[in-house]
Amino acid sequence: MHVALSGITVRFGALTAVDDVSLAITPGEIHAIVGENGAGKSTLMNALFGLVEPAAGAISIDGTVRRWTSPRGAIAAGLGMVHQHFMLQEEMTVLENIVLCSEPVGRFGFVDFAAAHRRLKESADSHGIVIGLDRVVGDLSVGERQVVEILKVLYCEAEVLILDEPTSVLTPQEKDRLFAILKSFRAAGKAIVLITHKLDEVMEIADRVSVMRGGRLIASGRRAETSKEEIARGIIGGELPAARQRRPRAPGEVVLSVDKLVAAGRGMAVGPITLSMRAGEIVGIAGVSGNGQAELVQALTGLRPSISGAITLCGVRIEALDVERRRQAGMSYIPEDRQRVGLALGATVAENANAGRDDRAAFSRGPFLNRAAMTRFARSLIERYRIRVGGASARASTMSGGNKQKLVVGRELARATPLVIAENPTWGVDIGAIDFIHGELMRMRDEGHAVLLVSTELDEILALSDRILVMYAGRLAGEVARDEASRERIGEMMTSRAVDALPEVA
Amino acid sequence: MLELLFDSSFAASVPRFVTPILLAALGGALCERAGVFNIALEGFMLTGAFAAVLGAYFSGSPYLGALAAMLAGIAMGLVFAEFNLRRGGDPIVVSIAVNILAAGLTAFLLRAIFHVTGAFNDPAIAGFEPVHIPLVASIPYVGRLLSGQSILFYVAIIAVPALHVFFARHRLGLRMRAAGENPAALEAGGVSPSRVQLWALIGCGAFCGLAGAQLSIANVNLFVENMSAGRGWIAVVAVLLSRGRPLPLFLIAVVFGMVDSLSFRVQGFGLPQQFTDMMPYLATLVVLVGLSWWRRRQSV
Repeated sequence: MHVALSGITVRFGALTAVDDVSLAITPGEIHAIVGENGAGKSTLMNALFGLVEPAAGAISIDGTVRRWTSPRGAIAAGLGMVHQHFMLQEEMTVLENIVLCSEPVGRFGFVDFAAAHRRLKESADSHGIVIGLDRVVGDLSVGERQVVEILKVLYCEAEVLILDEPTSVLTPQEKDRLFAILKSFRAAGKAIVLITHKLDEVMEIADRVSVMRGGRLIASGRRAETSKEEIARGIIGGELPAARQRRPRAPGEVVLSVDKLVAAGRGMAVGPITLSMRAGEIVGIAGVSGNGQAELVQALTGLRPSISGAITLCGVRIEALDVERRRQAGMSYIPEDRQRVGLALGATVAENANAGRDDRAAFSRGPFLNRAAMTRFARSLIERYRIRVGGASARASTMSGGNKQKLVVGRELARATPLVIAENPTWGVDIGAIDFIHGELMRMRDEGHAVLLVSTELDEILALSDRILVMYAGRLAGEVARDEASRERIGEMMTSRAVDALPEVA
Repeated sequence: MLELLFDSSFAASVPRFVTPILLAALGGALCERAGVFNIALEGFMLTGAFAAVLGAYFSGSPYLGALAAMLAGIAMGLVFAEFNLRRGGDPIVVSIAVNILAAGLTAFLLRAIFHVTGAFNDPAIAGFEPVHIPLVASIPYVGRLLSGQSILFYVAIIAVPALHVFFARHRLGLRMRAAGENPAALEAGGVSPSRVQLWALIGCGAFCGLAGAQLSIANVNLFVENMSAGRGWIAVVAVLLSRGRPLPLFLIAVVFGMVDSLSFRVQGFGLPQQFTDMMPYLATLVVLVGLSWWRRRQSV
C-alpha cells in the first residue's frame, strides 16, 4: 500500500507545527522520520492518522485521495499507530487490549474471544512474536507492552505501521527484539514509519530517512546515500556541539548516605537500598522504567514515606523529615514530571521560579511576597537559561516542554544545594536544551555538588556519570565505574541476567 | 434476644432492604467502571420511586409502574449526561444539582398531580405481589428469605452475574472498562469515550429507577417525599468500595441491607429511633475504616 502526503500543513493557533510537508511511504520499506522535539514529526503522523486535522494538504492511498477526521477512518484505510505513550488498559488482559475497538462480535454484541485468539495466534506466529494473551497488561514489562501495541496494529490488518519513538523506553535487548519484528514486517511487504531521534537506530534499520526541522521537511533520501553526520546537521540546522570536556576530579566529603532504605512500591517493596554519594561526583542510576527508581527518588525527597532504613544528608538524619525540611537540609530536586510535580502550570513563571523559596527574606516582606524581587529573579533565570516565554508574568502552561524543563532546572540549581537529584532531566526536550541541561549538571559536579542522576536514557547515564548503579526489581543490581561501563554490561544488569554474578553493592 | 432479632421474619425482611441498595449500586457500577463519577444515585432513585407510583396508579399495573420508573431514571441519566459529558460540568456539582432537582421535582409533582403534600397513599396504586416459589418456599428459614419476595429482588439477583459477564465479555462492557481506565486509548482506537459513558448513564438510570420502584411499589404502596432516605448514598459507598465489581458489590450491598433491616428491628426493643437510624451509616464507617486498614496492610 502506497501512501502519499502532499502539502500537509497543521496549525495550532498562531503556531505552524507542520508546514507544507510532502512525503511518500512505500511498502517494504522502513522510513525513519527524524528531528528535534517540536520539529513536527509526531504532529505530521497524527495528521496522517486522523488525530489532528490538517489546515491544508491531501493524503492519498494507492493514488486515490482519502480523507478522514478520526483514527477510525485511518484504521479502516489500513494504517496503524504505536504511540509514544502506550495506549493500553492496564487492568485488562493482552487479548482484551488487542481486540478493543475492533471486537469480533457474536450474538447480542458479545465478544468472540475464541475467534480473536485464533486469528491473533496465526499472525503473531508468522512474525515470531511470543506473548501470553491472557496475562494482565499491568504485569508486563515495558518491552512486552510495546509488543501488545504492535499486535494491536497487526490485528487490525494494518499495511502501514507508524511507531512514535518506539525505543525510548526499551533495554538494548528489547530494542533488538523490536527491530527483528519490524524487519519481519518489512519482509512481508508492510510499510513502516519510525519516528525517532536516535541516529544510531536510523543507520541500523532504516531504508529511507526524512529530516524535519521547525515543521518543515528539510531533506529526504535513501539511508545508504547519507551519513550520520549529515543527518545530525540537518536536524539541528548547524554544526554539532563539541564533545564535552570532562575534568578529572577527586570526590570529596560524603554528602548523602542511604542505609538499608525500604519504601513501599507498586505491588512490591523497593529496597533495601544502600548507597553513598560524595561531593563532586555524578552518580547515575540506570534501569528500565518501573524498577523502583521513582519510589527511591520519592523516598529520598520525602514524597513517599520510607518503611525502614536511614537517610543522612550532610550529617543530618532526614528520613523522618518532611519535604520542606529535607530541602532545607541541602537537597534540590528536578522531577521527572514537570507538568505536575515540577511546575504549577496555572501559576506564572515568576511564581514558579520562586516556588519553595518564598520563605526566604530576599523574596518576602514580612508575611507578604516581594513581587518585585520575585520578578527580578525570574527574569534572571529566563535570561541565563534562554527560556523562551512571554515574560515573568506569563503562565507556565504557555511554555513548550523544553522551556518548562529549563525553568525547573534553573530554579533548582540556583539553590546551589550540596545534593541535586535529577530524574530523567532531559525527557522530551530538544537537543539544544539537552546539551544545556547536561552542561549545567556537569558544572554542578565541577563546583563540588553531588548529583544523583536517575535516567532511563542509557546514553545520558554514560555521558555524565562518574559511577553507575543499575536498578532492577526494586533493588540495586550492580555498580559499574565509569571506565568499565559499556552498554552491553549495563543492559544485562537492567534485565538482571547478571545479578547473581555481582557482589552485594556497598 | 439474638433469636428474636434473627428469626425467620428477619430473613423475610432482608431482601426488601437489600434490593433497592443493590439495584442502585449496580447502576452506579456501570458509571464507576465507565469513568463517570456519578453520586446522584439518590436523586435517580427518588425520581424512579415517584414515577413508579405515578405509572402504577394511572395504569393499574406494577409492571408499567416499574417501566415508568426506569424511563424516569433514564431521563435523569440524560440530564446528567447533558451537563457532565456534553457541557463538561464538574460531576460532583452535576450530581448535587441532580439530587436537589429530584427532591424538589418529586415534591412539586406530588402536589401538582395528586394534590397532596408529604405522602401519597391510594388503593389504586398497583403494587408488586410477592412471588412464591413452590418448592423453595417450604424450606425453613431459607424459604422465607428466597421465596415471597418482589420480582425486582430476583431481577437484582440475576443482574449481579449478568453484569459481571457483561463487563467481561460484552463489547459495550469492554469499552466501558476502557473508558473508565484509559479513555485516551479508546479514543485512539476510534471509539468515542463519551458515547460509551452515555450508555453507562442510561443503564444507571434504568437500574436506579427500578431501585426506586422497589421502594414505592414493592416494599410499600405509597410515595413519601424523600423516601429514598439516603439509600442512594449507601449505594454510592458500595460502588466505591467494590470499585464497580459486581460480585464484591453484591456482598457489600447485602451487608448494608442487613444492617438497614436490623435497624428497624431493634426499634422494637426500645432503642430510640435516632440511634437506630444511625446504624446503616455507622456500618458504612466501620466498613470504610476496616477496609482502609486492610488495604494498608496489603500494600506494605
